[in-house]
Amino acid sequence: MEDLALNLGTLALMGACATIAGAAEDLESDFGSQSNANSQVQLAPQVGYLHRIYNKAICGEPVAYGLLAATGSAIALALATAFSLNIVISLALGATIAALMYGVYATTAYMGRITGQKRFGQPVYLDVLLITTPSIIAHAFIATISIATFSYLLSAIIGQPFPFPILALLWGVMTGGMGSAVGDVHYGAERQYQAKPFGMGLPIASSGKIIQKGEVGLRCSTDIAGFCVKHGGPLTGLGLGLTVFIDLWRHIIFINVANGWGAMIMGLFIVVLIVAFNRGIEIWARKNYGPYKKAED
Amino acid sequence: MEPLTLLIIVACIGLGGLLVGLGVHFVPVGGAPAAMAQATGIGTGTTMLAASSGFLGLISAGLVTAEITNGKISYPGFTNAVDSQTLLSISGITSNIGAIAIIIAAGVIGAMLMISILCVVPNVLYIFGLGVPLASAKVKFDPLTGDRQDIYVTRGTEGHGTPSVAVISSLIGGLLAGIGGALTYLALLAGGFSIATAAFAAIGIFFVNSVLASYNIAGTIEGFHDPKFKRWPRAFVGCLIASVVLGIWAAAIMFLGA
Repeated sequence: MEDLALNLGTLALMGACATIAGAAEDLESDFGSQSNANSQVQLAPQVGYLHRIYNKAICGEPVAYGLLAATGSAIALALATAFSLNIVISLALGATIAALMYGVYATTAYMGRITGQKRFGQPVYLDVLLITTPSIIAHAFIATISIATFSYLLSAIIGQPFPFPILALLWGVMTGGMGSAVGDVHYGAERQYQAKPFGMGLPIASSGKIIQKGEVGLRCSTDIAGFCVKHGGPLTGLGLGLTVFIDLWRHIIFINVANGWGAMIMGLFIVVLIVAFNRGIEIWARKNYGPYKKAED
Repeated sequence: MEPLTLLIIVACIGLGGLLVGLGVHFVPVGGAPAAMAQATGIGTGTTMLAASSGFLGLISAGLVTAEITNGKISYPGFTNAVDSQTLLSISGITSNIGAIAIIIAAGVIGAMLMISILCVVPNVLYIFGLGVPLASAKVKFDPLTGDRQDIYVTRGTEGHGTPSVAVISSLIGGLLAGIGGALTYLALLAGGFSIATAAFAAIGIFFVNSVLASYNIAGTIEGFHDPKFKRWPRAFVGCLIASVVLGIWAAAIMFLGA
């Protein structure tokens, strides 16, 4: 009984960490325009749309976050074992070093990508670099420490046998995957193309024609996170939090039922519920939004 | 180690990799266009989408393995079979079939959970954040629900969101990738690799196959109803060769280590 309470308490903490990690990951990738569709920011100067957007997408979010989380937790593990440092302090130090390293990559990526567009007349804005990079480092720190913490809890208390830096690598890739799948839609389809009417997809002919002006003055990357924090960030956090929570909840509660098969049946039941929910909102949207044109046949 | 056991390990790794490669073809991938509500599917790359789902399967399979080892669920003989490297011999398989089945089932459920969340949470954003219905431009009617698709697609796009048929397709993909990941992990564990090494090697083999499959898909795919799905035989051959070669390498390490 005590075991169960401990595991469930740990799981609640892990779910909270995952939610924060997901939200911070998505906002960090919006700051740096690493979110899809980063190709649009790259394309914009080529179609005559010069911009002040930070552009650091030299690899996808999942890979970047796999590296970031694995670095942070490997340093934390090294500090905790070599110097017998308290794990909380080790995780904080590991995340700090990883986030600073990430800041270096962000800076070089920004300089490299933007200078490559000189022939289209795109200037390198040093003030953009100076204002946005600290925000990127800060959000990367929050995401890394959250991922490393719940990976550590999964390994040390829940009893997952993989070493915790490997778990952090896996969860980093999954966090990036979630941010890329969920939050990017809000950034790519809504914020970068805010002039298009609500309730339509982006026609291919509009590609690259991103919004250049912000609420005040020219739009910077720091204006983007304030918008994406309304839907993109929280939904990414919800997605990752749900993943961590549901998968381990069914395991912890039902693993003793039917010699382990209870957890599997419960998992399958949750998948069916999720798919049924999806069908429900699909029908709702079709009914309420209606078709774009009349059926001709 | 018995030559037959080594052969079974190579076969398991080959089959595992093959299933991952095939599973990737079922996952609705929209890439950057999907993130602009310009194409149907999930707005991220093929490799990472498949990897994300397979990794949760791998984590679940690892957790169930630990529960068997520490006696929380009872599958007697499994720990001894892993220690003596006889899990994948003929007698090991017959006497531990329950344990093998539950580890693979854990992989499948983990992968299916992850992929269903990856499909459905973005759909919430498409519907409530962007105000678009879920529609595919590749088919006129959803093959499963029979819903009309073409009139719900914004002019100038190739669809948006992940409609029901693509969600079901992604679950099949998760199922195959989950079996593949768990089978590879189990084969490496049975061959005497430590838990950490088995996990790492399984991640590597998973990546090789999902990247190969991504090259075959080249960009976006909606699932089994997409015309691009017909390309799967090429990935079948490619992934089979790559996985068997990797399996032989793994078996060689096991053979030399023992």
